[in-house]
Amino acid sequence: MLPTYRRPGSVILPLLRDDPAFTLVPVASESEAITIGAGAALAGKQVAIYIECTGLYVSCYTLVSIARRYGVPLLLIVGYLGGMADQRNNNVYAVSGAYIEPLLQALQIQFQVLQTGDRLEANIQDAVRQMHALKLPVALLFSGDFTR
Amino acid sequence: MIRFDCLTLLAPRITDQLVVTSLSGQKIEWASLSQHPGNLLVGTMGTALGVGIGLAIGLPERKVIVLESDGSVLLSLFNLATLANLGPKNLVVLVFDNQVYSGTRISEPTATAGKTDLTMMARGAGIEQAITVRDLAAFEREMEAGLNGAELKFIVCKIEESVGHREITRTDLDPLENKYQFVRYLERTEGRPIFRGRG
Repeated sequence: MLPTYRRPGSVILPLLRDDPAFTLVPVASESEAITIGAGAALAGKQVAIYIECTGLYVSCYTLVSIARRYGVPLLLIVGYLGGMADQRNNNVYAVSGAYIEPLLQALQIQFQVLQTGDRLEANIQDAVRQMHALKLPVALLFSGDFTR
Repeated sequence: MIRFDCLTLLAPRITDQLVVTSLSGQKIEWASLSQHPGNLLVGTMGTALGVGIGLAIGLPERKVIVLESDGSVLLSLFNLATLANLGPKNLVVLVFDNQVYSGTRISEPTATAGKTDLTMMARGAGIEQAITVRDLAAFEREMEAGLNGAELKFIVCKIEESVGHREITRTDLDPLENKYQFVRYLERTEGRPIFRGRG
């Protein structure tokens, strides 16, 4: 069970930074997170990309033109800010959040919404297995308890 | 100096380096000069440099060469800041700056036809070693230094607009076919699996 926090990234990123199994690559745009991640995936790295929901809009072009067109496995870890189950961020993000699920459907990116830490490890394993099987991006949307 | 002459000098130097191309002339001309399995013919605007950075990070012992254009780099300028801070020593970036959007077929000018200097922008982003070359001799010298050296190279190649690529038969290599060709080549030469089966 992860501790609760206001935005998923505020806990996830420090955990990744402190874990030597991960190489953390800071980028300036979610768009290049996809292209740089795709290059690393084609080099044999398992790639997870942390973005907040608004970053999905920024990364649409590279998700389509690189990740989907070439078929590259990428795990998108998305802070689902502004979704119905968001506990704190709706005032700013409700409009952005409203289009996230239809956007992922339009991009044909499979996703799962996680509202609690129950089965968190299993959910991540499922997503990783699926991205390798499909050789495509898949997304986990962190909402509910993850936004407290 | 035109791009095709630069690429003609580069092609015979390729042994086990990986080459990532952006779109239009870069992709068409390179694919006509080289059918190396280490070519990744990305072919979309504003994406090749990012993919090349990712490959260079993932394969730090392997030389990665990115063939970019002015319009493509201008579309993804955030790449410059990220590239500067990551600083992969095994990456050579060749930006062919013809100062037009040649793919439009009406050659609309890019910002570099006006006041914008990509080398200065790259330096401002933190790529201090970014340089401009304006003739074939300088291109060959800097390209060789990039291939043989062990530091990030960012070379803006000021070229004349040329439309010779429009007469070249375009490769029919499908992106998925290109990906698997590339990945299998890496698996053979790196001696390890890249993809992880069917899950």
